[in-house]
Amino acid sequence: MSLFEQVGRPLVVWAQDVGAVTLQWWTAIRALPSVMPVVGKRRRWRAVLEQALAIGVRALPMASVMSLCLGFVLALQSAAELRRFGGINFVVDLVAVTFTRELGALITAIAVSGRSASAISAEVGTMVVTEEMDALRVMGLNPAEFTLAPKYLGALIAMPCLTILSTVCGIFAGYVFMAFSVDMDFRVYFRQAFEAILVRDIWLTLIKSVVFATIIVQVGYLNGLRVSGGPAAVGRATTRAVVESTFLVIVADLAATWFFYTMGWSAAG
Amino acid sequence: MVLLYDGMERCRVMASSSNEALISVRNVSVSFGSKRVLDNINLDVYRGETLALLGGSGSGKTTLLKQVLGLMKPDTGSIWIHGVDITTCTPSELNTVRRNMGAAFQEAALFNSLSIDANVALPLQELTQLADSTIKLAVWIKLWAVGLADCGRLYPNELSGGMRKRAAIARAMALDPEILVFDEPSAGLDPIVAAGLDELILFLKQTLGITILVVTHSMESAFRIADRLAMLYQGHLIAVDHKDQFVLETHPRIRQFLDRKPDPAPGGERGFMASYLREFQHEH
Repeated sequence: MSLFEQVGRPLVVWAQDVGAVTLQWWTAIRALPSVMPVVGKRRRWRAVLEQALAIGVRALPMASVMSLCLGFVLALQSAAELRRFGGINFVVDLVAVTFTRELGALITAIAVSGRSASAISAEVGTMVVTEEMDALRVMGLNPAEFTLAPKYLGALIAMPCLTILSTVCGIFAGYVFMAFSVDMDFRVYFRQAFEAILVRDIWLTLIKSVVFATIIVQVGYLNGLRVSGGPAAVGRATTRAVVESTFLVIVADLAATWFFYTMGWSAAG
Repeated sequence: MVLLYDGMERCRVMASSSNEALISVRNVSVSFGSKRVLDNINLDVYRGETLALLGGSGSGKTTLLKQVLGLMKPDTGSIWIHGVDITTCTPSELNTVRRNMGAAFQEAALFNSLSIDANVALPLQELTQLADSTIKLAVWIKLWAVGLADCGRLYPNELSGGMRKRAAIARAMALDPEILVFDEPSAGLDPIVAAGLDELILFLKQTLGITILVVTHSMESAFRIADRLAMLYQGHLIAVDHKDQFVLETHPRIRQFLDRKPDPAPGGERGFMASYLREFQHEH
């Protein structure tokens, strides 16, 4: 195989994947009204709530424990350096800003990716193998309205909620460290933390969480749809869904942070 | 009762216009890569009849079935359902055609997260404006017709294979379709359950006058339920005939199917395997 082919083939596959995800995302957007309250069907809105609870509750313990641990580690590591310059109080600002702008959304996305991308991919893959998707099409029903849209809207509701919770957990872990190391008061800590955070930071992290939710659901769903051959293929699709969605979440985080930085939205004031 | 009356009415219509082809497959060819799966297939299924599509594994039966259901498009040719060419029509036209068709898949394809009555109710809830009470009654009638009237609250994983297939038939009948398509209805079932399913298909045809296309490799089942039989072999339709004439066919593949004879092992492979096994046993 020539060098041109070796480079070209993965690029073509990558371009096909990007095209497929984009088309699927557009299909999901068009199907969203059918699962919304008031304008959509009542039964489908119930399915959305079930999905939101499933995605949120499933990732809740993992996301909060990860945030607590990382918040404590971040405070610990930064305190070791800042103490040398007499700036241990800046640990509060560092933890609050890092979690609000970055880690809250990222940790949540990684936790959801590990649990829900695999679950979505396995569920959809099994539906493909057992011909349930074909059954929906033959009934004249749109599979996107039944399977994709409820999961997508559910994730769009659950992810921002989880992100906020994860951020609070991370900042709280910083307080635990400061309380033990310099005996800082709860009210002093949180006043300083809230002064360090801008409302814009919260908006930007919520936007990130929506982007991450989109990546996780669309990648998980697409990998499930591509299952062919039998139950063994479902397992492979599940693994691929987790790996791809985690990778894409981190890449998207970099792109978003770089964009916000370029626009001057990451600077205070 | 209205639904059953519709079926009886359809029987009378069928008697007067049984020459009308509800499904017409015209010059359909399909290839997967370099492999020709279907080669210039022409087939008609007439109103009120049951046609069994026979063939060995990999002969193209399921591919042809998916073409008829509009799940795949042929490379060339056309497929007419109720006078609409589903290979060229718009997605909304295709959905309109599909509302007059029901399909029961090989693995039943019931939605595991829904109870049996919710599975059967799904097309009625989504595609009709019927009141909940009417839907409930219609679901009960369909489940009663397939012998599952008291199983509505159970979930698919609580049913046996035969019951799941019956439930799938009830769901396929939910919108009172004129055409029912079955993919391997008796596959994986014991002879008694398979015979019960054949009886059910016969009952649907005789009572409701439904036009039925069955894909199967069970000769016994095909002869019991079908009016005509068609045989696919390596992507070619080698025979389409009334079942009384079909038994007289002289094509070697049909004779092999009818006489249940296996393919000969290639290149004396079986003899080689036997000697290898004897040697292996001797050594160990």
